[in-house]
Amino acid sequence: MGTSLLETFLLVLTLYSLLATAGVSIYGIVARPSITKKIISLTILGDSLNVLAIFVGFRVFSVPPVLLEHDTNSAGLIEFSRTAVDPLPQALVLTAIVIGLAVNFFLIFLALQIYRLYGTLDSRKIRELRG
Amino acid sequence: MRKYLVLASIVLGVSALAYATTYLGALGPIGSDTRQLAKLFLMHTYNPEFPELTAMSPEAVTSIVWDFRGVDTLYETVVFYMAIVAALAIYRGVGYSAIRGAGLSVIVRVVTRILIPMNIAIAVSIAAHGYLAPGGGFQAGAALAVISVLLAVVFSASSFGKLGISLARAVILWTAGLLAIAAVVFAPVAFSAVTGVRAFLMQNYVKLDSPFAFAIHIYGQQVSGTPTWFNLAEFLAVSFGFFVIFMLLSLREDVVREQLGESRGH
Amino acid sequence: MDPTLVPLAFFSVAGLVFAYLAVVEKDLVKAVIFSAIQSSTYTAVLYLLRAPDTVLVYLPVAVGLYPAALLFLIGKTERGDGE
Repeated sequence: MGTSLLETFLLVLTLYSLLATAGVSIYGIVARPSITKKIISLTILGDSLNVLAIFVGFRVFSVPPVLLEHDTNSAGLIEFSRTAVDPLPQALVLTAIVIGLAVNFFLIFLALQIYRLYGTLDSRKIRELRG
Repeated sequence: MRKYLVLASIVLGVSALAYATTYLGALGPIGSDTRQLAKLFLMHTYNPEFPELTAMSPEAVTSIVWDFRGVDTLYETVVFYMAIVAALAIYRGVGYSAIRGAGLSVIVRVVTRILIPMNIAIAVSIAAHGYLAPGGGFQAGAALAVISVLLAVVFSASSFGKLGISLARAVILWTAGLLAIAAVVFAPVAFSAVTGVRAFLMQNYVKLDSPFAFAIHIYGQQVSGTPTWFNLAEFLAVSFGFFVIFMLLSLREDVVREQLGESRGH
Repeated sequence: MDPTLVPLAFFSVAGLVFAYLAVVEKDLVKAVIFSAIQSSTYTAVLYLLRAPDTVLVYLPVAVGLYPAALLFLIGKTERGDGE
């Protein structure tokens, strides 16, 4: 079962806009001076790459990977595996979001500590202050 | 405005590139089928006909998170633990003393007071049904962590102390969640040591050379072995881990500076 | 044709727009708000990609906890992205 030209266009548009979001957020991490802005861009980068990972497991005309009939036989399970999306990227992204959250919170605490020590969050001024 | 011109050119560029890719067929078939590995997981997430291969959880994502790829999740929980330990290390020496604060208006406080029990009920139900429907420990922990934001913003930081949640207690409950995860991991080995039946770490259901299995039905109610217990333990660990983080973030900056003895900078 | 593909493409392009606005915004509080709107569009994208588990964890994290923590940080430090 292939996809029509319009379906392919919409899927490719989704894919490219996710990649462009990742590119924009990398610009934010590299080129913006404020450390807070760098953290915001880092969260956007993580979000876009997580959604990209789930997009890889997507297929058209599908159902979520949750089995609804519990006394199912082999025929029902084969039908389920033919219509459901890939659950593996979803499972990996699920934990990746929580880990990313904890790591970003740690970065927020580090930014607070930088502000306590240097009195600014502008990375150019911090560079002038300490070598 | 230069900003909007750049934005329009990015969006137009992405659309044109997508159109060209579609017209040339450069990416090949996309979104039409999943790979074989996905079908393998979907076939065996709840399949009583192959008891030595299945995870006995109708929710494919939960069965991957806590059974098929359970060790991944275990070590990601360790990463989560290390990040919070690092945050605590930055604040070492700061006592969580009750701090007076105004908070928001009476209407907001009353509405929040009604919302908090509902939020707790939703979080517990998400955690307890994680093996059956979308949900699980991580989701429920993130949902409950919203309460800590509400407490810090609406009632001010002192409300944690009034509710009897001190930083030490939050750390204890968070550690209890992690120990509960460890207990579920080591339960099959303990069973093996007592009875002499062969069993493996993190084992959920029967394997080819091991008859050990967690209970699949309790009083006629279907549960699905380790995923259920891991979800509840992870719920405890994640939600109180976030309580620790938001307690530290809601501390007043002048008090922290005074207790850390850092007055440089300002 | 799968009817969910049109909103899928629409929300992902909207996410790109708000991500760009968040990155170039000078006022950090407005940048956090744009970032939260971008997260809301990504919640819709995840829902349309048939990932209800990930929606449940992403919604409180990206729309609730990140903005709250970043606003705490901005409140304790400085508000401008100095140019």
